[in-house]
Amino acid sequence: MKNDLQTLQLAIELCGIALETPLIPASGTMSKEALGEVAGVYGAILPKTTTPKERAGNPPPRIAETPAGMVNSIGLQNPGIEKFLEGLDDFDLGVPIFVSVAGDAVDEFVALCDCLAGDDRISAVELNLSCPNVEHGGLTFCAGPTSVEEVIGACRAAYPGKPLFAKLTNEGVVANAIAAEESGADALTVINTIPALTIDPESQSVLVRGGLSGPAIKPVALRAVYDVSRAVNIPVIASGGVSTGTDVAEFMLAGATVVQVGTISFVREPGEILREFSEYLDRMGTTASELTGAL
Amino acid sequence: MEIEDREEIGGYTLLRYSWESAIEPGQFAMARVAGYPVTFDPFLARPFSYYDHDSETASLLFEVRGRGTALLDDARDRIEVSAPLGRGFRIDESRGPAALLGGGIGVAPLKILSRRLNALGVCHDVFLGFADTRYAAVAEDFPGASVATVDGSAGIHGTVLDAVPDLERYEAVYACGPNPMLAAVKRAVGDRVICQLSVEERMGCGNGSCNGCVVPVRDGGYVRSCVEGPVFDAEMLAW
Ligand SMILES: Cc1cc2nc3c(=O)[nH]c(=O)nc-3n(C[C@H](O)[C@H](O)[C@H](O)COP(=O)(O)OP(=O)(O)OC[C@H]3O[C@@H](n4cnc5c(N)ncnc54)[C@H](O)[C@@H]3O)c2cc1C
Ligand SMILES: Cc1cc2nc3c(=O)[nH]c(=O)nc-3n(C[C@H](O)[C@H](O)[C@H](O)COP(=O)(O)O)c2cc1C
Ligand code: FES
Repeated sequence: MKNDLQTLQLAIELCGIALETPLIPASGTMSKEALGEVAGVYGAILPKTTTPKERAGNPPPRIAETPAGMVNSIGLQNPGIEKFLEGLDDFDLGVPIFVSVAGDAVDEFVALCDCLAGDDRISAVELNLSCPNVEHGGLTFCAGPTSVEEVIGACRAAYPGKPLFAKLTNEGVVANAIAAEESGADALTVINTIPALTIDPESQSVLVRGGLSGPAIKPVALRAVYDVSRAVNIPVIASGGVSTGTDVAEFMLAGATVVQVGTISFVREPGEILREFSEYLDRMGTTASELTGAL
Repeated sequence: MEIEDREEIGGYTLLRYSWESAIEPGQFAMARVAGYPVTFDPFLARPFSYYDHDSETASLLFEVRGRGTALLDDARDRIEVSAPLGRGFRIDESRGPAALLGGGIGVAPLKILSRRLNALGVCHDVFLGFADTRYAAVAEDFPGASVATVDGSAGIHGTVLDAVPDLERYEAVYACGPNPMLAAVKRAVGDRVICQLSVEERMGCGNGSCNGCVVPVRDGGYVRSCVEGPVFDAEMLAW
């Protein structure tokens, strides 16, 4: 449990939303079943990306371990927005709830924003722009500034009045970040998994073709957060390879306002990361809100 | 967790550590070697069924397959182990006799299951299949079990199903082993009786968060074997 001093030390504001801690779970890495372990750790909750209709996801194998990380190809398995909203109260830990959405065309993103706009249980929406856009031959929505502007502009109109986050992949991240800010995003989540492949040499076949996450990608994410936070004037939400409390500090020094905890939560209790971060702040005699961009 | 005891049983290794809380038959733990703050390579923990437990300790029995299990085999002082996870065997006390089928390291959850069935007064027989006599040595821990080996070096020459003389006799079948064996058990048992299978999938988190451990289900789509399983009613699986 946090005492009063720690409460002051860890509190942070993101787009006008008061958060008790600067940690939030990365989308797709924390289920309802794991919520019990994270009470008091996260400043907000961010469930797995939801699409308009139910998605079964990809056939197994979906994950492969790599040094300091893993490659996943889950295929956005989710129950669809309607069922998701029916079960949303299960995610109520008394902290703000952010919702991650994705579609395979701009009008799907817009329809999702329409569904969420009037729901006062939701404090912000994160657009997962790493998925393929069928209208653009399967290139992702992060393919370039024009594509980013199109989807964010449309979502901004459909989701007025509350914070809209754009989650960007590493490739072309600075140009996409500038485009996202110009088209109305309130904050940028940087980065998603990095395209990767694993091969099984015994069966001489592809094991998993998907995205790399975990500590292995931390330096890449750190560079992206650093460069983006220097190119835009909106908050940056870091995602990629955080595994310790000092990693959280590094991402905040690089310019992040809050930090998402993803793959590491499969092998460490997120509470340990918050405790280490708090110890770091004690040692440095500073607070979370003072740390952002304090390089 | 401190390792309290380490034993080699035939081809398998048993690690015992302090654990006081309840464990349901068929539940598993995510285990890894200890490191600071965690080991990065191998990065993920590995799932293991509980082999045994009493009021003070729990134990895991494992086969060295790759690097994760090789490191656990080398561990002498400490390992990192999660609390019990997943949905285990669901026992219907009114249905007996029961057959317990283990293929290779699939014997692991059967000891606790057999003890629970005894406590509930459900009569049952245990059938174990192994590659060879070295692995079959673990059958000594299962008094009265029928054994088969693929190379014929111990017990009946054949698979675990060959060790069951009259499968029709049983009203419930509980099985654990490689997925192809489980599919064969499902086919052999049919839908006449209770049939529960403990499946083996790669796991990332063990707590339902990653969606990495899925199995295909009859009604289409996939479910997570770490929370909805690892023990499934055979009829539910699309195998
Ligand atoms: C619920 C559950 C309970 C289990 N209980 C036990 C137990 O009690 N005792 C025990 O010894 N083992 C058990 N296993 C299997 C055990 O988890 C694996 O043997 C272990 O993860 C292998 O790790 P490794 O690092 O040694 O091998 P790795 O280096 O990860 O892999 C070695 C080889 O095995 C293959 N492999 C690894 N994991 C799997 C998998 N899940 N399915 C198919 N192929 C795979 C790899 O492709 C590779 O060829 C259980 C698995 C599950 C899901
Ligand atoms: C198993 C798994 C599932 C994921 N699912 C999603 C998802 O549904 N939506 C999303 O935006 N990102 C998803 N991600 C990406 C994470 O949110 C995160 O951006 C990425 O893993 C990098 O951070 P990390 O290294 O801390 O995990 C997923 C990652 C993993 C490992
Ligand atoms: S292992 Fe992660 S969901 Fe089952």
